[in-house]
Amino acid sequence: MVDTMDNAFAKKLKKEDVLITEVYGSEFSKRLFQRKDMLFALVALLLFTGLALFAPFISPYDPNANELRNKNLSPSEDHLLGTDYLGRDLLSRILIGARTSLSIAFGVVLISLITGTALGCAAGYYGGIVDEGISRVIDVFLSFPGVIFALAIMGVLGRGVFNLMLALSIVQWAKYARVMRGQVLSIKKQEFVLSAVTSGADDFYIIRRHIVPNAIAPLIVLATIDIGHVILSIATLSFLGIGLPADVPEWGAMLSAGKEFMRTAPYQTIFPGLAITFVVVIFSILGDGMRDILDPNHEGGEIY
Amino acid sequence: MSFPVLTVNELAMKFGTSEVFKNISFSVARGETLGLFGKSGSGKTTIGRCIVGLEKPTGGKILVHGEDILSMGKKEFRKLRPKIQMIFQHPETSLDPRMKAFENLIEPLKIHSGLKQDSLLKRGEELAELTGLRPEHLVRYPGHLSGGEIQRIVLARIMALSPDFIVADEPTSMLDVSVQAQILRLMQKLQRETGVSYLLISHNLEVLRKVCHRIAYLENGTITSIENINRGIKT
Amino acid sequence: MSLLEIRGLSVEFPAGENAVKAVSNVSFEVEEGETFGLIGESGSGKSVIGLALLRLLPESAVISGEVIFQGQNLFSLKPSELRNIRGKKISLMPQNPAGALNPVLKNGLQIEEVFEERRVDKKEGMKRSLKLMKKLFLTDPEKLCTLYPHQLSGGMRQRLIACMSLSFEPELLIADEPTKGLDPEAKAGAVDLFTKIKKEYGKTMLLITHDLDLALEVCDRIAVMYAGEIVELNEASKVLNTPVHPYTKGLISAQPRNGLVPLRGQSPSRIKLPEGCFFNERCRCSGIECSKKHPEIKKHKGGWVRCHFQSLQ
Repeated sequence: MVDTMDNAFAKKLKKEDVLITEVYGSEFSKRLFQRKDMLFALVALLLFTGLALFAPFISPYDPNANELRNKNLSPSEDHLLGTDYLGRDLLSRILIGARTSLSIAFGVVLISLITGTALGCAAGYYGGIVDEGISRVIDVFLSFPGVIFALAIMGVLGRGVFNLMLALSIVQWAKYARVMRGQVLSIKKQEFVLSAVTSGADDFYIIRRHIVPNAIAPLIVLATIDIGHVILSIATLSFLGIGLPADVPEWGAMLSAGKEFMRTAPYQTIFPGLAITFVVVIFSILGDGMRDILDPNHEGGEIY
Repeated sequence: MSFPVLTVNELAMKFGTSEVFKNISFSVARGETLGLFGKSGSGKTTIGRCIVGLEKPTGGKILVHGEDILSMGKKEFRKLRPKIQMIFQHPETSLDPRMKAFENLIEPLKIHSGLKQDSLLKRGEELAELTGLRPEHLVRYPGHLSGGEIQRIVLARIMALSPDFIVADEPTSMLDVSVQAQILRLMQKLQRETGVSYLLISHNLEVLRKVCHRIAYLENGTITSIENINRGIKT
Repeated sequence: MSLLEIRGLSVEFPAGENAVKAVSNVSFEVEEGETFGLIGESGSGKSVIGLALLRLLPESAVISGEVIFQGQNLFSLKPSELRNIRGKKISLMPQNPAGALNPVLKNGLQIEEVFEERRVDKKEGMKRSLKLMKKLFLTDPEKLCTLYPHQLSGGMRQRLIACMSLSFEPELLIADEPTKGLDPEAKAGAVDLFTKIKKEYGKTMLLITHDLDLALEVCDRIAVMYAGEIVELNEASKVLNTPVHPYTKGLISAQPRNGLVPLRGQSPSRIKLPEGCFFNERCRCSGIECSKKHPEIKKHKGGWVRCHFQSLQ
């Protein structure tokens, strides 16, 4: 209810027949529809997510069914994208693999976003010793090179979906925390925050109502682009053989397995590679578009 | 015995070794407007921010109704906060850009009054009318409002707290001359109706002479004189 | 023939299904060597006119009318021809002296850059600029060139910007709100600066401002704008000392020294403009005619006024 006072007011005006010509403040959806590339990426993403969600129902074969006599086939009517070295259907494996990649990536980004936002907020808002403490921890985590850090953690934890998520989140969160801290530092000095302070609002209210909504936009952009990056990291780790257990279909692992047969059966690397590229590009476009759309005063890139 | 609304006693502020101001003493009575005149960089904004508790002075006392706010506990001070409010210089950042004007206006009411939606709407509309706002202003985002309109909303949201004292830090220096007149007259009207006191901080002596009862001159970090103004306001 | 002639200029910005009428049917002429002031509140359309002259408005703006500069219609020029006029023959002095300079480049480099972009000999150009800077009382301009913008005061920065916009000795200098946001001392400095530019430089200026003091000191003639149209046009001293239009009168008495008397109400919505006089709702002496018929601009005592009752006042 707290968040709908504007709507309540607008409704009341309408009821009382007060004429309002609301022409300014173009809304989120309107701005979205002005961006053709965003729309394209969104549709592609929806399609892709749909395929991943329903993968068990639409994939033509069991992704783990070995049929050694059908190994290393080229694309045909029976196997649209061919088969791998154990005779498993590539299309089915890519579809199921999308599930793995997307869900792990979403999970990692969500965990990093929440942790980063919370810690970044605390550091930026309270300053002083809280900031000192959190900032040093951020520095430490940012000083390791990403994939190698994840590799080391995986080495300790061992393979597995949950472990992979945990490892990648540990690598990712500090980036979010740092961006959030910077945002909060500049926003907390603005007059609308100060006037909330002087009207007696408590810290939690101010953070929730003013700081986070005004600071979050760059993090959302970062998160969107990051989904692509995380998918790439998952693939990298699996390619190196330490991401997921061997029986979990995953694009990076497929690439890794296919590289042995590059000459005789190039499809085994081409198709998983294309899938990775496709998803990463989609999220890049989405992230770029979010940057423009999330600004309420955005004028559409025109120069006055 | 009744105390002045605000008494500032030998207020001092140091950043490191450099003194911003010292020995600042004045008091403001109920319904009075005290002007604070000084050049840019003279520390007048910092004085205002100390009074509303946004900055801690390094010395001196600030008494609201005779009670020292600097020695108060956090909870006690938060209870008092609504009574001492501030209007800021830059209208463009005075309202949350992600909340429409109406939401901004009733925010203090939501924090303090615990009113239901219907009464909030009603009270919000009363405040809007008090400050000369039209419904079409209230449904816009702050980015689509003019500076004058925003300062009206700021005044409305402050009046929601029925404050005793308002620090107005250059409230009109970013506005057009004709809008400046509207806002200053509106502030005077609110003063007549509610008895609120102002500390009007400005670098424009002409403006201060027109609306203040007394003017304090801030020079080289200290108040050099306080002038009584015989105001013949035509209303 | 006048240097700049604006005929029936209208600018609209589409907004959803409606259009915001920023400027409606504005006509005026600026004579060679004259300083012409456009005054009015923010939102009166005065800055839009300045931008429209240089065709700097966003593409979505619907512009009609003609702008004749030295016999050429600026609206029918090709982009390449326009580039030759922008900066060289017509120069815009930007509004915000703090934001108009690149903070990481030394001042000298920024002045040079102006010439570089235009493929003009840098040394020759700098020499000219330094001379100009001296004239506009920047003492020791050579030293100034070795500093960064943040090391200058607001007034100094503004003078530097002025010099940069005069680099190519333009025929017309457009100054958009040069005193906005300056403190009183810097404001007084700006008055000196423009008086000096006028005296030393002697070319035509179009001064867009809401600062009546500046306008009175510097301008030869003034057009007062309200809700996108000119309501009064005459010699500066006449407009500001013996105003005819009720809006001009209101603007003057809103000045702190003239009583701080506010104008009633607010400017009309620019999407649905009133049928009659745009100022009718706020006017202290409106009659029946004012709410029905939009007044035409008429000759009055050597100037122009857009009011039904001008003869009565």
